[in-house]
Amino acid sequence: MIEFENVSKVYPEGTKAVKDMSFHVEKGELLALIGPSGCGKTTSMKMINRLIEPTSGTIKIHNKDIREYKISELRWNIGYVLQQIALFPHMTIEENIAVVPEMKKWKKQKVSQRIDELMNMVGLDPETYKKRVPSELSGGQQQRVGVVRALAADPDIILMDEPFSSLDPISREQLQQDIQQLQKEIQKTIVFVTHDIDEALSLGDRVCLMKEGEIVQLSTPQDLILNPINDFVKSFVGERKSPWQTAVDVMVDQSKAHIIHENDTPPPKGLYIIEDNEHLYKGAIQDGQPITLPTLSNGLHLRNATDVFEKNNTTLLPVVKGERLIGTLSYRDIVIYLQEQTKIENGVVQQ
Amino acid sequence: MSEFITVLQERQSTLLQAIWEHLQLSIIALLIAILIAVPLGLLLTRTRKVAEPIIGFTAVLQTIPSLAILAFLIPFLGIGTKPAVVALIVYALLPILRNTYTGVKEVDPALKEAATGMGMSSFRRLSRVELPLAMPVIMAGIRTSMVLIVGTTTIAALIGAGGLGELILLGIDRGGNLNLILLGAIPAALLAIILDVILRLVESTSAKSGFRSLATILIVSLLIVTTPFVFNRERQPDLVVGGKIGAEPAILMSMYKLLIEDETDLYVKTEPNLGKTDFVFEALKTGDIDIYPEFTGTAINTFLGEQANSNNPQEVYQQAKKGMKEQYNMAFLQPMEFNNTYAVATTQEIADQYGLETIGDLKSVQDELVAGFTLEFKDRQDGYQGMKEVYNLNLNIETMEAGVRQQAIKNGDVDIIDAYATEGYMIEYNLKVLDDPKNLFPPYQGAPLLLQQTVDQYPELKDILNQLGGQITKRQMQEMNYKVDSEGQEPITVARNYLRDNGFLE
Repeated sequence: MIEFENVSKVYPEGTKAVKDMSFHVEKGELLALIGPSGCGKTTSMKMINRLIEPTSGTIKIHNKDIREYKISELRWNIGYVLQQIALFPHMTIEENIAVVPEMKKWKKQKVSQRIDELMNMVGLDPETYKKRVPSELSGGQQQRVGVVRALAADPDIILMDEPFSSLDPISREQLQQDIQQLQKEIQKTIVFVTHDIDEALSLGDRVCLMKEGEIVQLSTPQDLILNPINDFVKSFVGERKSPWQTAVDVMVDQSKAHIIHENDTPPPKGLYIIEDNEHLYKGAIQDGQPITLPTLSNGLHLRNATDVFEKNNTTLLPVVKGERLIGTLSYRDIVIYLQEQTKIENGVVQQ
Repeated sequence: MSEFITVLQERQSTLLQAIWEHLQLSIIALLIAILIAVPLGLLLTRTRKVAEPIIGFTAVLQTIPSLAILAFLIPFLGIGTKPAVVALIVYALLPILRNTYTGVKEVDPALKEAATGMGMSSFRRLSRVELPLAMPVIMAGIRTSMVLIVGTTTIAALIGAGGLGELILLGIDRGGNLNLILLGAIPAALLAIILDVILRLVESTSAKSGFRSLATILIVSLLIVTTPFVFNRERQPDLVVGGKIGAEPAILMSMYKLLIEDETDLYVKTEPNLGKTDFVFEALKTGDIDIYPEFTGTAINTFLGEQANSNNPQEVYQQAKKGMKEQYNMAFLQPMEFNNTYAVATTQEIADQYGLETIGDLKSVQDELVAGFTLEFKDRQDGYQGMKEVYNLNLNIETMEAGVRQQAIKNGDVDIIDAYATEGYMIEYNLKVLDDPKNLFPPYQGAPLLLQQTVDQYPELKDILNQLGGQITKRQMQEMNYKVDSEGQEPITVARNYLRDNGFLE
């Protein structure tokens, strides 16, 4: 979908922001770009919609060099969500959303349908909000509109530049969950810049960790945590938090030992999670009797996950990413993970 | 206060006319300034390298005194509304240009990036995002310019563009007639406030869309500006008589008008209060006016750059007439009787106290007395420069406007002033003119000055205007000036009365 081939960017004053970078983003994938500030993550992202031109190398979208597209059409097909939100303050919410569809000369009817559809999708009632101006909305609501505006003209690609970093923690968490939800529904290719490793790990299908203009490690969140290629990755991913703050997807049991297909005959003893062909969670069965169990979102912190265990008086819970079942988590998995995280040095247990 | 109301009632129609002219001038200038400065400012945001030099240039224009711009424009544009509007535009450019540029430049970079990232073209980004957001700043610039223009338009009266400045100038000229000055100044201030309120309303009601609010201003002002041309088709004059500022030129102009219209079918328009000598002379050269009364002495000193060869009025006139014909191809018709030479005057009391009779007597009191001279007099060879040489004087001088001088000597702020021999307040304040035994000041006789081609076109003018040759004594002129300056009579009335009493008119 998006391919970087030996892309470099040197700024006029001599800063080498990006050095000979090559990677690709799959269709429908959410790639999180992360790294310390000045690592070139934002530069890399802005080269995709040509807000920044690479000094050398090629970027391709749909196997075609982006310089061969008409620049306006290229950009109309790439949604853009900014850290500063940057809704146009003099336009109403609907006018903001309609900007790109209007440039694409959509019919009025179609634009207004699209606005209603998208606003509903992010939980903003169109009748209440579409005639308001941005300053009448909370930060979280504004960024929801920011996301809707990027989605409005149904682009294939969406670029998000630290979209939630200016929000309060509660709005941020909600929006992160919404994005995960949306991603499952709309299947866009998303390049997501963030400096928050938890956000990168929980949202990204893959995470691209950068340092000084180069890719250090590009892999799945689990891989990044379990197999860091060097100390930099280890320290960047791990050291900043206690194991209790780790997202549960790191410790998920993906062996399917406790998962059965909905058409299977349920075993008479034990607790099992049921999935369908689409790997969607269908329910749970204990000792042959169907029971209801809540799901754990893969980004949920371990500390919060244990609360769910307690509340439901269970030893096993399904873990989902979006709606897809990715595995199960049991007290046993948690204990094993915590043990792995704990080193013993000189007879003293270290966290 | 009651006096002010009387003046207001007397001059009601003049006032309305003046307000209307003022409004028209201001709006035309503002309109053109907006049409130039806003697009230019927008263009500069796209070519930042040249922006600062260009804005700097308009700032330089702003520093030039308005009077200097007017004087500079006369050789190119003549007198009247045209140069006035140009000068006002020059003044209005900077605030609009700078605010447009700054307003657009200061739009949040994140919004510009969002617009660009969403695929807006440069023009679309400008019209949809930058201009609407910069609108309050641009409007602030327009409002600043508007106040500047309404204020500066008062100066435009100096070159015959009319407006409220005419009343103010008249007031200053008539010895600081406060009522007249207020009659011009108060409406000017009100006009500025009202226009400001209107612009603010336009701004707040349509702050959303940049182009729309600009367009509203443009259309409304265009209507105001063009209405008079639709409804008011004034008859084009055949001849325009001009004159410097002051009662005397105004009376003489009126006489010319009355005489010409009495004996021919020509329609004559008067263009009074045209400011200083240079302004009027330029206006005559460019053909904006056809006739104006000028002094023989001034023609020799100022236009021909010569010294008078004699102190005989007739010889001085012949020298002036010959010179003007040869150098400028102008006809200088016969001069009137009175000699309005420069004079140095003091109060009768001071003259008695120090025993002052001649200019030379001032030598003995030069450290005690203060002189209030006009800037022009101070610098002229046939003025204070000559006094220094011929009478070996070194006075304490304060320079002031002509109209302020008489007030200053009345209040005792100064003891000696320069004056014209015929000025009306000589009588009113009982001033004593000091004798000039060394004939420093050449004779200054007033006579009609015209382009030769005007005389060729209307040969009858020569006889008509020459009727005044040798007429009007110094005493008569003083009295007529007094009636206008101090009794508030209209120059045309005073002129008509003189012409009737002396048998020139029925």
